[in-house]
Amino acid sequence: MSQIETFYDVMRRQGITRRSFMKYCSLTAAALGLGPAYVPKIAEAMETKPRTPVIWVHGLECTCCSESFIRSAHPLAKDVVLSMISLDYDDTLMAAAGKQAEAALQDTIEKYKGNYILAVEGNPPLNEDGMFCIVGGKPFVEQLRHAAKDAKAIISWGACASYGCVQAAKPNPTRATPVHKVITDKPIIKVPGCPPIAEVMTGVITYMLTFDRLPELDRQGRPAMFYGQRIHDKCYRRPHFDAGQFVEHWDDENARKGYCLYKMGCKGPTTYNACSTIRWNEGTSFPIQSGHGCIGCSEDGFWDQGSFYNRVTDLTQFGVEANADKIGLTAAGVVGGGVALHAAVSALKTAQRKSQKTKTKDAASKSKEEV
Amino acid sequence: MNERQLIVGPFNRVEGDLEIRLEVRDGAVASAQVNAPLFRGFEMMLPGKDPRDALTITPRICGICSVSQSSAAALALADAGGIDMPPQGRIAAALLHGVENMADHVTHFHLFFMPDFARPGYDGRAWHDRALARFTAMEGSAARRATEARAQLLHIAGILGGKWPHTLAIQPGGVTKAPDAGERVRILATLRSFRRFLEDSLFGAPVEAFAALPDVAALESWESGDAGLFQAISADLGLEGTGIGPRRYLSAGAYPLDTGRVSASGVWEGGQITPFETGAITEDLSHAWMLGDTAHPARGLTEPDEDMADPGYSWCKAPRLAGRTVEVGALARQVVDRHPLALALAAEGSVRARIAGRLLEIARLQILLEDLARSLDPSAPFMAPAPWPRSGTGAGLVEAARGTLGHWLRIEEGRIAGYQIVAPTTWNFSPRDVTGAPGPVEAALVGAEVRPGEETPLSVQHIVRSFDPCMACTVH
Repeated sequence: MSQIETFYDVMRRQGITRRSFMKYCSLTAAALGLGPAYVPKIAEAMETKPRTPVIWVHGLECTCCSESFIRSAHPLAKDVVLSMISLDYDDTLMAAAGKQAEAALQDTIEKYKGNYILAVEGNPPLNEDGMFCIVGGKPFVEQLRHAAKDAKAIISWGACASYGCVQAAKPNPTRATPVHKVITDKPIIKVPGCPPIAEVMTGVITYMLTFDRLPELDRQGRPAMFYGQRIHDKCYRRPHFDAGQFVEHWDDENARKGYCLYKMGCKGPTTYNACSTIRWNEGTSFPIQSGHGCIGCSEDGFWDQGSFYNRVTDLTQFGVEANADKIGLTAAGVVGGGVALHAAVSALKTAQRKSQKTKTKDAASKSKEEV
Repeated sequence: MNERQLIVGPFNRVEGDLEIRLEVRDGAVASAQVNAPLFRGFEMMLPGKDPRDALTITPRICGICSVSQSSAAALALADAGGIDMPPQGRIAAALLHGVENMADHVTHFHLFFMPDFARPGYDGRAWHDRALARFTAMEGSAARRATEARAQLLHIAGILGGKWPHTLAIQPGGVTKAPDAGERVRILATLRSFRRFLEDSLFGAPVEAFAALPDVAALESWESGDAGLFQAISADLGLEGTGIGPRRYLSAGAYPLDTGRVSASGVWEGGQITPFETGAITEDLSHAWMLGDTAHPARGLTEPDEDMADPGYSWCKAPRLAGRTVEVGALARQVVDRHPLALALAAEGSVRARIAGRLLEIARLQILLEDLARSLDPSAPFMAPAPWPRSGTGAGLVEAARGTLGHWLRIEEGRIAGYQIVAPTTWNFSPRDVTGAPGPVEAALVGAEVRPGEETPLSVQHIVRSFDPCMACTVH
């Protein structure tokens, strides 16, 4: 095999200094929740390992994932990751056009056979032999299969690639199909959300490029480090939920006071994502902070669960919050019983945490087997 | 005679997928067919759903102009329910929408349009080194600076809308976010820093100076900033003579405030501006892979022709105004708003006119956004009660970055019974209609130079990109 350059080579060629490189390594370690001890490991990996090429393809989608990605918070991380990708293939951003671009894709596939990561934004529609999404005269599903065949692993960006997203809404006119239902013989990491948070995207891709393996995944194939908690768990409005203080109408006084949006249909209690911790647009805000409930865009089937403004009624899987209305009322109404109730809640929560931990462990061992 | 056929596409650096079939004769395009090869069927999914769900589903048509889609959906719902936004709600919605439009224009110029001048095909031109340094895809200094400035600008969308793209805050009754005094200051500070980017990098002069350009001669003598670089390139390549559009311009008027729309609504043709009659819109299906008859969008249907039978060649319907093509976009808005420079460029209708129109709008929009932000009053209501209609019809027309966007909605028994969307790129990139008249871009490509051996002709790239296609919106 010919000499393939390392990440460090690429970064130096992009004009990134040694100092910036070390800074990048420590940021990466921090972003991924790893301790300072990992910084030299990351640095060494990047100095010695050959660069992992990335091919980025687009199916049925709205390009919101790319949009999110190019606005990632840390300019250095973004530049580095983008410059790695730019060497290969991405049709939204790259310079080449038309046949030249198609040739670039083919070259990359052949040159890095079995060694590249395929990042998929959007999904293939299967109705009418895939003719609802045609790339270079051929159905996208063919390009996807072709590019996937020699990929080392696949990243399903966003709700489209992971689950189908809105174009799969009933009656799913084009039979938009998530990537893992078409490609079944490759490790696939799902990074759902519509779009996913930029920092989650750069975090996932940096992890894979640095360590040359998939991060720990949950049972649904999502990286546990970003999808391990519900929006609700870290929501800054959570105290209002617990206190039974809810917005009842968009324009009421409670809305001004920033009360909980549960009754306005917020899906935070059933949605696993990092919006309430990492937030959006470089940490500026997230939907609940703008006074609108979460729509659960990182969950499978979020687009076909009845109205987005219906409140979550089935919370049984979370034990104590089986009926949040009732909890709200009780907490507000029965002041005397509050202490006892709180004790019961805590006990239940501890139990629930334990069961979740076990699940994560199972998932971790499973993901290791897969890779 | 020397004839050949070319298929240009897939186009990179556009939103969505686009393919263009060219007949080339004697070194020039003789005819063009534009195909939008991506169809998702949003208009087929909406019927049967809760009308409010349109606020979440339609923005997902497009990840780059989602606030435009959400504004149009909110206006259509408000129209159906007789709901009115309070004045401050309108200001916040306009600010949110204006920020997205600004981000789109800046992205278009720096990341989509200008990088073509850094191609090797232009080696040896006096301006080529400068174009290379500034605009090489993903590496050019201007491209980088713009990406960063844009990300910062979108903090305002974050503050007012929680997240961008796919913002949820705009509702028929107003905006769910009432910014507080601190957030108002942050918005103003963000706009100040964006102004610095525009004045240091894009214009090399105060935005007011560009916004005040009175005529074409003044535009041609503009030398500073990347706007000056574009002017030099345009003069050298003769972009004032290529990609001539239909020279009929439509604008629905941008940013509805309680005092009326900020920019004028109307139709420009041959120096005359007449009112925009929305009843005169039809969607022609003769050359689309769609079944059904030509209809006004309020009555239109979306039924894809699974046989993809001839003479159809695109999933895109062909919208016409009183049976004729119109061009929409920044240039159209500025023309209909009677800006003197835009009026001077209207009859030219070229690649240069479109880019200059967009630059002009960037300059004027910066000033508008600052005014809007200053007029935010955190103590006033941003949302009014909005009872949901059980039945009714409504239309919502807004101006997205790329032009006029309309949503037409019918509600029966509390559910959506019909939903039709006509997006800006549907107007500009439409296929032929029943009379055989080509869509605006198809017509603009005729006569474009194709040099010997060129497979992806540069002139075609410039013309297509001057319209800033957003193919995800075109066919939804």
